[in-house]
Amino acid sequence: MTAKENLISAVAEGRTEDAEAGARQALSEGLDVHALVQELTAAMREVGARFERLEIFLPEMMASAEAMMAAMEVLRPALEGGAGDAARATVVMGTTRGDMHEIGKNIVGVMLKANGFQVVDLGPNVDPLVFIKRAAEAGAAVVGISTLMTTTMPAAREVIELMKEYGVRDRYKVMVGGAPTSAAWAKEIGADGWAEDAAGAAALAMELVGGGR
Amino acid sequence: MAPMWDVVERAFTGPFCEEQDYLSRRLIPALQAAVKRHRIKYDPATPVPWDDALADAVWQAAVELFLEAGVYHQDTHRIILFSEEEVREALYAAPESYTVGSGRDARTFGRREVEDARPPFCILSPDITYDEPLFLPVCLAYLREPLLDGFCAPVLESFLGEKIKAYTPLELGGSLEHAMSLREAARLIGRPGVFLVAVGTAESDSAQISVSQEGWGVRPTDSRLVGSITEFMTNNQLLNKAVHYRQYGCFSGSLTGAIYGGYAGGAEGTAVLETAYHLKGLLVHFCSYQQNFPFHLKYGSNTTRELLWVTSVYSQAIARNTRLVQTSNGFANAGPGTDMLLYEAAAHALASTVCGANLWEIATARNKCHNRATPLEARLAAEVGHAAARMRLTRRQANEIVLKLLQRYEAGIPDAPPGREFAECYDVAKARPRPEYLDQYRRVKRELGEMGIRFCY
Repeated sequence: MTAKENLISAVAEGRTEDAEAGARQALSEGLDVHALVQELTAAMREVGARFERLEIFLPEMMASAEAMMAAMEVLRPALEGGAGDAARATVVMGTTRGDMHEIGKNIVGVMLKANGFQVVDLGPNVDPLVFIKRAAEAGAAVVGISTLMTTTMPAAREVIELMKEYGVRDRYKVMVGGAPTSAAWAKEIGADGWAEDAAGAAALAMELVGGGR
Repeated sequence: MAPMWDVVERAFTGPFCEEQDYLSRRLIPALQAAVKRHRIKYDPATPVPWDDALADAVWQAAVELFLEAGVYHQDTHRIILFSEEEVREALYAAPESYTVGSGRDARTFGRREVEDARPPFCILSPDITYDEPLFLPVCLAYLREPLLDGFCAPVLESFLGEKIKAYTPLELGGSLEHAMSLREAARLIGRPGVFLVAVGTAESDSAQISVSQEGWGVRPTDSRLVGSITEFMTNNQLLNKAVHYRQYGCFSGSLTGAIYGGYAGGAEGTAVLETAYHLKGLLVHFCSYQQNFPFHLKYGSNTTRELLWVTSVYSQAIARNTRLVQTSNGFANAGPGTDMLLYEAAAHALASTVCGANLWEIATARNKCHNRATPLEARLAAEVGHAAARMRLTRRQANEIVLKLLQRYEAGIPDAPPGREFAECYDVAKARPRPEYLDQYRRVKRELGEMGIRFCY
C-alpha cells in the first residue's frame, strides 16, 4: 500500500500509532497535504456513516476519531494558509443545567470532530451563563445544547434567552437536540437548528457555518 | 459486604482518573477483553438462546469487568473498586425475596429461575410524561389492572401549570404533587397498600428526599430508584439518594440501561455490561433489586432482535448465577392503538419471563411521546408472562414464538407508528379502555393463542 492508503486505512480502522506514522511518512514523501486532509475527512465521514448504520459501534468510531486527530496533529504545521475542512469552526457544547446524561452529546462531539470541527465539550449539567462565557472565550461559531429530560428542556431556552439579554445572540448559531426534543420545540425556543441524531447534528453544524449539507 | 459508608469513602479515596480516560482506556478495553476471553457471540437466529454455557460465560465476564473497571464517580473523578471477596460476600448476603406493599396489598417480590413456573412479579408503568390533569386518571387506569403487583406512575411535566425545571422548587412541588396524587389514586381504587415505585418526577436528590413520608408520601414498603449514568458511573446526587433510601428503610431499584451501539459496542458487550450493572446496583447503590432497560442507540427500544437477545442472556446470567431480584423493562418502538406495540409487548414479556426476569411493562413509541402509553399493552405483557410461566414454556419454545412475532413487526421498526394518546384509547373519566381498543387487544391476544401461548384466562 502507498503511504496515503496506509494513513487512510489506519484512520478508518482506528489505529492511532499507525495513523501518526502514516502522517509522518506522507509528509516525508511530499504528498499534497491539503488533498490528503480532504481524503481523510471523507474517510471519517464514511466511518460516521457506518456508525449510523450500526455496522460499527461507538468504541470503533471513537478510535477512528482519535487516530484522525493524531494524524492531524502531525499534518497541521503543513496546513498553514488554508486547511479546508480541517479548519472548520469551533463548536461549544454541553448538556443543560440539571442534566447529567451525556452520551448523546458525546457521540455528537465525536461526529463533529470527525467532520473537522474544533469541539469544546463543557460536559453535563452546564449553567446557561457558562455556555455563553465559554463560547466567547473559544470564539465559537456554534453552540450545541443537549437535553435528555423534559424537566431539563427549559434550561435550553434559558441559554438562548440569556444570549439575547447579553446582546450576543447574533454571534452564534445555536443547535439543540436530545431524545425528548423536536424540530417544533427547537423553533419555539428560538434555536437555529435541531437534529435527530449525531449524523444529523454534524450535517446541521456544517450547514450552519456555511459548509452545506 | 462493604458497609455503606465504606463505599462512600472509596468515592473520595479511590484512584484518580479523568472521565474520558476511564471510558476509553479502562471500561471499554476491559469490556471488549472480557467478551473476547469468554468467546461470547451474538446469534441473530436465536433471540432467546437456551445455551446455559453462554449465560454462565456472560456472568463470568461481568464479574471480571466489575472488578477490573470499577465504577467511576463523576464528581470526585475517582474509581470505586471492590475485591472479589466483597463481591462474593455481597452476592451471598443479598436477599432473594422481599415482602413489598402493605396490608392485603402486600406481595412477595422475589428472584425467579430460568423457565420458572412461578409467574413474574408485574410492575406496570407508562414510563413517560403526561399532562398534569391526566395524572390521576392514568394512575387509576393502571391501578385497575388485576395482574398489577406494583405500579410506577407517570412523570409530571408541569406543576400548577408551570413547566417543571429540574433542581428547582418547581421540581420539588411537582414531586410532592406526584407522591400525593399517586397515594390518593391507590386509595381511591381500593388498593391503599399497593407497592409503589416513586417518584419519577424527582430527578434531584433533594426532591426525592422531600417525598419520604409515611402518611401522604412514599412509604418504607414502597420503592425508589437510583438511576444510573452511562456507562458505569455514579455521582454525589446518586449516592445521596442511595444513602437516603437505606436510612429511610424503603426498597430501592438500580435503574440501568446499557446502550447497544454505544460504549458497550454490540449485543455481546451490552449483555455483559447490563449483567455487570447488577453488581453496581448491589454494591455501589445498595439496591434491593435491579431494574434493567438495555436499549438500542438508534431506536431507544429493546424489542429489536439484538436487544431481545441481550435481555434473554443477561436475565439468564443473573438467574442462573445469583440470588438477585431482577426486573426487565420493555421499551417498544410503536405506540398505543397499534398491533405492532402489542406484538412487541408480547415478545419482550415472553423472552424476559422464560429467562428468569420479573416484568416492568411497558414504555411505548420509543419512550419519546408525551401522553402516549396505556395500561392495555402492559396488561397483555403481564398476561403473556403469567401464561409462559404457568405453561412451563421453555426457552426453545419461547424462541420459536418470538421469531414469529419478529416476523410481524421487525420490518416496521425503522418507521414504527407512534400510535395514539391515552385519551384517544381510553375513556378518561371512567379510566377504562374504549371498546374498539379493547377489541384490538382481544384480537391480538387470540393471535398469540394461535402461536402457542395458553393464556391463564
